[in-house]
Amino acid sequence: MSKREVQEINAGSMADIAFLLLIFFLVTTTMDKDQAYIRSIPKKIEVVNKPVEVEKRNILAIKANTQNQLMVRGEIFSDPDKISEFILKFYRTNEKSPGQYVDNDMPLYSVITVDQIQQNIDFIVSEIEAMEAAGSPSDMVTFKYNQLTEWEKKQRALKIYGKNQLPEIHFQANIRIEVMQATAYSIFAKIQTEIEEAIYQLRDEESMRLWNVSYGTLKRKEANENDKNKVKEEKDKLDLLEILYPARLIEVTPKI
Amino acid sequence: MSKFKKDGGRSMPGVNTSSLPDIVFMLLFFFMVATTSKENDPTVKVESPEGSRTMDLTPFKQRSEVDFMYLGQPRNPARASQFKMGYALSLDNVVQATPDGLYNTNTIGQWKKDKFEQKPARMTSPIELVITCVKADKTAPSGFIFDIRKELQEINALTIAYAVRDNGNI
Repeated sequence: MSKREVQEINAGSMADIAFLLLIFFLVTTTMDKDQAYIRSIPKKIEVVNKPVEVEKRNILAIKANTQNQLMVRGEIFSDPDKISEFILKFYRTNEKSPGQYVDNDMPLYSVITVDQIQQNIDFIVSEIEAMEAAGSPSDMVTFKYNQLTEWEKKQRALKIYGKNQLPEIHFQANIRIEVMQATAYSIFAKIQTEIEEAIYQLRDEESMRLWNVSYGTLKRKEANENDKNKVKEEKDKLDLLEILYPARLIEVTPKI
Repeated sequence: MSKFKKDGGRSMPGVNTSSLPDIVFMLLFFFMVATTSKENDPTVKVESPEGSRTMDLTPFKQRSEVDFMYLGQPRNPARASQFKMGYALSLDNVVQATPDGLYNTNTIGQWKKDKFEQKPARMTSPIELVITCVKADKTAPSGFIFDIRKELQEINALTIAYAVRDNGNI
């Protein structure tokens, strides 16, 4: 018959089809990023002292029971999304009147000036010198050094804050998470989320106001950089935000 | 020269691309296999609760400053009854009883210490700062979290992370 060969089926588009499938799988399967809340565990202490009396106004207790019901400061919360609003109220109520007594049940704010910080630093430095000369136990000296670092942090923070005094929430103001052993982890995580939301909002608004940078950007920059010297500025800014809005969490070990 | 000229009239045969689809299919299968999310690997079922404003652990992972543990019901339902309340802890895919049964053996502490010793030399953080990330199931009782915390406190590993799923701005 004819001398022409039978034409082959054009398989050139097969590769395209396979590529399409490949891209589909690349897009739809997620290599999950690990997202988490980082918390620190208090150091173990051998000698348990009598607990310090904390004023009621400084405690924000968030409780959850075995039926996964929530209670914030003795009030039952049916909507867990409202907890962050309450936390905002906890920080914000007396924020605008630092150094004054306000008659309500939210924590008070105090102010610290540049001179006071300097005085404290000088005092601690002299104390350390005296202790080192007297050969005091090393943990005492380390403790004092830590105190010194804290004060120096405050000094740097105040410098970038641009004012001559720094407002501070009462040093005992804390948020407590009290769950029971059988409380579902989802509730525990929800409480953590709400706290994180509130703290984020407080710090973010302050960060936008001061430098017009979002708190998230600062945090990402700081976390992604291995060389900490390169992100000194961000670190100082984050320190300031942490001093203005400290997240003092107490996770109470459940008894029942 | 004349030899080449003889064939001049015919066109060059095209490069045989018939194996290209095979190559691409191989790639496809590779990705299909490789990208199964790690969540499914542990021997316990873990479905994390949702959260927002979380910390991304990727930079810590790159610096190997994080260890993962999984808390959930065992995949094999027959084994669930062996554990307190049906929940088990998976450390490197080895199912352990929940911490209550471990106070004497201190498996978590030993595990964490071993992990810390096996870290690459470039990891310089002290054990207090090496994160232990607990990936717990939605329904897991929070009491276990506190048991884990207690075990970690004993060995001075003082940073813990509670894993959640962040669907928001990543």
